Amino acid sequence: MKWRRLRTLMRREALATFRSPFTVSVLISVPLAALLIFGFVLSTEVKGLALGVFDADNSSASRRLVAELVAKETFIEKRYDTRGDLQLALVAGEISVGLVIPPGFDRDASGRGNTSPPQIQILYDGAEAPLAGNAEGFIRSLIARNVEVHRAPGADNSASRPISVVTRALFNPTLDGKPFMVAGTFGFVLSFLTVLLTAVSIVNEKITGTFEQLQVTPASGLEILLGKILPLGAIFTLDVVLMVLVAGFVLDVWPAGSAIFFVAVSAFYVQVSLALGVIISATSATAAEAVQKSVMFSIPLVQLSGFLFPIRNMPTLVQWIAEIFPATHYIRVTRAIYMRGDGPVALAPELGLLILFGVSLMVFALTRIEARA
Amino acid sequence: MNAREGTAERASRFWTNIGAVAYKEASVIRHDKALLATVFAQPVMMLLLFGLALSNKPADVPWLVLDRSRTGASRALLQEIEHTGYFLRPRPVAGYGEGVALLKSGRALAFVVVPSSFRRDLESGQPQIQLLLDGADPLSAARIGAYIAQVAGAFNLRPLPSTNPDAQTVTRGPIDIRQQFWFNPTLADNRFFLVGLAGMLLTNLCLAATSLGLVAEREGGTYEQMLASPTTPLQLLLGKLLPYVGLNYAVMLMATLAAAVFFGIWPRGSWITLLIITFPFVLASLSIGVLVSTLARTSAQAVFITVFFILPSFVLSGSMLPYQFMPEGIREIGAAFPLRWYQIALRAITERGAGLTDISVPFLALAVIFVVTISLARLRMNPRLD
Amino acid sequence: MSTAIIRAVGLTKRFGDFTAVDDLTIEVEAGTIFAFLGANGSGKSTTIRMLIGLLQPTGGSIEVDGIDVIHHARRVRDHIGYMGQKVSLYQGLSLRENVEFYAGLHGLEGQALTSRWSELSERFELRQAETEKAEDLPAGIRQRAGLALSTLHQPRVLFLDEPTAGVDIRNRGLFWELIQEEADSEVTVFVTTHFLEEVDYCDHVAFIDAGRLIADASPAELRQRYSEGYQVDLEAGPDDSAIIEPLAARTEQIDGGVRAWFPSLTPEVLGRLEVLSRERGVRASITQAPMTHVFRQLLMQAREAS
Repeated sequence: MKWRRLRTLMRREALATFRSPFTVSVLISVPLAALLIFGFVLSTEVKGLALGVFDADNSSASRRLVAELVAKETFIEKRYDTRGDLQLALVAGEISVGLVIPPGFDRDASGRGNTSPPQIQILYDGAEAPLAGNAEGFIRSLIARNVEVHRAPGADNSASRPISVVTRALFNPTLDGKPFMVAGTFGFVLSFLTVLLTAVSIVNEKITGTFEQLQVTPASGLEILLGKILPLGAIFTLDVVLMVLVAGFVLDVWPAGSAIFFVAVSAFYVQVSLALGVIISATSATAAEAVQKSVMFSIPLVQLSGFLFPIRNMPTLVQWIAEIFPATHYIRVTRAIYMRGDGPVALAPELGLLILFGVSLMVFALTRIEARA
Repeated sequence: MNAREGTAERASRFWTNIGAVAYKEASVIRHDKALLATVFAQPVMMLLLFGLALSNKPADVPWLVLDRSRTGASRALLQEIEHTGYFLRPRPVAGYGEGVALLKSGRALAFVVVPSSFRRDLESGQPQIQLLLDGADPLSAARIGAYIAQVAGAFNLRPLPSTNPDAQTVTRGPIDIRQQFWFNPTLADNRFFLVGLAGMLLTNLCLAATSLGLVAEREGGTYEQMLASPTTPLQLLLGKLLPYVGLNYAVMLMATLAAAVFFGIWPRGSWITLLIITFPFVLASLSIGVLVSTLARTSAQAVFITVFFILPSFVLSGSMLPYQFMPEGIREIGAAFPLRWYQIALRAITERGAGLTDISVPFLALAVIFVVTISLARLRMNPRLD
Repeated sequence: MSTAIIRAVGLTKRFGDFTAVDDLTIEVEAGTIFAFLGANGSGKSTTIRMLIGLLQPTGGSIEVDGIDVIHHARRVRDHIGYMGQKVSLYQGLSLRENVEFYAGLHGLEGQALTSRWSELSERFELRQAETEKAEDLPAGIRQRAGLALSTLHQPRVLFLDEPTAGVDIRNRGLFWELIQEEADSEVTVFVTTHFLEEVDYCDHVAFIDAGRLIADASPAELRQRYSEGYQVDLEAGPDDSAIIEPLAARTEQIDGGVRAWFPSLTPEVLGRLEVLSRERGVRASITQAPMTHVFRQLLMQAREAS
């Protein structure tokens, strides 16, 4: 392999990429947009959920209760005059959860009269299940301990909870979803974009005939492959650095471990993904087809790689499938570096796997390039 | 068009022209194998993914136990936690340090420490246990914490003689209670995805199909041909959209039926309502695709833009995660996507049996999005070649 | 002992059931221009691809400049230059940048490249277009650029696949001048084309139909074999034309003179025509049978034979 030839090939690739304004804008805007969307989407600062209130008691105690719920702006209060109105609002989706404070709440809360604990009723709509259940859980937690909470209708009344649980979360004491999502976004963006870009680039070369011309020059298959993926890899690595900086300065998410180590690992993963793009391009006749195939391949990749949904929760067979994607391992490594601060030693097995995948994919990509029908 | 034509004639010309363009488009579709493969393969793939593979409900959670109490009470508590079915058999550790180390290396997600005074504390009414979670996966961690807290909360050794006014679990510590927001342990969330599945599939289809349309014509040279014909740009746009409407209905019925037959999610409301609300959604989504095709200069660009529109659309619309949980600015951005309104309507109809009047807001929103988008597309379409 | 620089023996290529190239044997002498003709789909492009090592034949052997192309395709690349049907210039790069790229792959850089390119761009009239982006080049310039690129590293053999497709007549003429200049410097040129008139620029022609070779000769031989050869119109009376008529294949009276056909213009024929012109002042116009005519005959006979 001649270094001079490789350098010539790389130079051309870099030139062509930087001269295409569309490619450059995609390379910058997509990662940033992804970071911002995914970084913010799972926010812990939930605000403005509509809470419908039917206060039949209308006492200072009941008003205080509602005020407490609304205090941190998590809920926005909407008052209804009858229980029926409240229920209608729930069904219409105007409110996410309903709160019914029965008459006598004040009396029960103050402990006068009989000894039954004060009660409130939470209405929710099974249709918005995750939403409702969590609103309920939240209300439960917020309400002063002397209040008994009933779920309506027909659910059991799990009222007495004597054991208190003191919880502490390692690495992420506030269980902030942002670092988790940011780390995953690297995997998503790098896997998606790289495959797309290479596939399209190579297919376009085949269509314009430059690929054939290349095959008639003294450049070997390996030189052609590296001449393509090395410069693109360098460009994407720049992208990674950009993302690390934006995640840090805008989202305040910095890696707990070594940033340099992370960039190095990412640079390698990018090469792996680019090789995949080469392989996809070999089976596509038009650029649009290459993109479609890349997308079809990437959708399960995104869903199964642990980016949005935990792999452990999947059926065993699917878990095995997930392990085949290099992206899964990369995301695992990224999260370990970003959140646990793991280093090369701790991550050795995962890295080893990535290297194995990488080498195999590149060898296979090489055969596709040298294929002579 | 002939200046002497009356309005009636011009109106009928409008529709026949659209019809002609639509017919040609439909023939192209029939031969587009890649599109047809997408149409049939993707729904199957998504159905499998969302129905079977993906879930936020924890399974097989590895956890550690340090039981300093070693009484029947502590063992009973731990067993109850295990019996929720979300956890593997607990792995006992010899000391606190070992547990933390294992947790740190990611080998377990939760570490429960039962103090030696547990039984006594239980009898005196102040029982406590300690729970350490691996926060590197905050979504799972919060869920698991909530599960354990719930089990702990419901745990009763024997009926207590006096009414215990303590009404709920108190979690103390650095975890802000709001983070426990995420997860209600009792609800099957593949249902959540599957109800919105039709919307995700249609979004995919609409955008993939139409975004290529104009660009492919420009590349193939037939664009010039079309400009030279007596059709107006608006007729061209509408003619390109319409054949896909039929295709979309087919996919929507397929997805809804599949979710019903395989996963038991039969719509509570009427199918007619479903079909009705699908119409403005399809129009809106298709017109977004057309707008993209007026923006892109090559077909590869068109598909690129499409792809990077689709995924945010899925996430921000509330099809995969409830949109109400998203922070304010992001929530509003999601309202610009047709899929947001469609999935609101889908859930209303499927789960709550909503009728036409209930979905009037989504219907209107979708209509507005359609009109705005198609106008933008029309503006971008240059009636001349340059 | 042949001096063939390209030798293909029994070349065959099958794609599943379909035989694209069937038992092809050709030899190309060094320094000649060899035209390889055939209709679209006749196997032309498949053949040239095999000859340069881009496609693996199903059977047969290929030798180019002494190298076994089938087993050592890589070795042959520095010996050959190739210009494909779509001239492969990288968009977004200027012509000059494309030149530097391809030259670099052949190890041609620095001063050597500068002087080589300076000479080439002068000859090929590409100076003006050097800084133009590849996608902005008009067809004629693009074709010349393609040719220049293929010969940049001074290969001994050039393979040109339909190099003049889409080029107007004037530029085509220019182009062939350049090809002939190459041949004059001992470069062998293997050209495929379906413009039949271009055959007359070449030393040797092979014609392929449905994967089979049906002719392999010089243009003059083909004319002789498959047409009446040359048509000579003489403004002459019967005494004058009598000088040349015995040599003609046939004659016919036309307005103002005689029309005679000669299978070939032998020195004797030419000599007598010269006599007629110099001593008798007879005006003669000579037209050769158009190649379309020749090939129609050729094809007809070939198809009748099979």
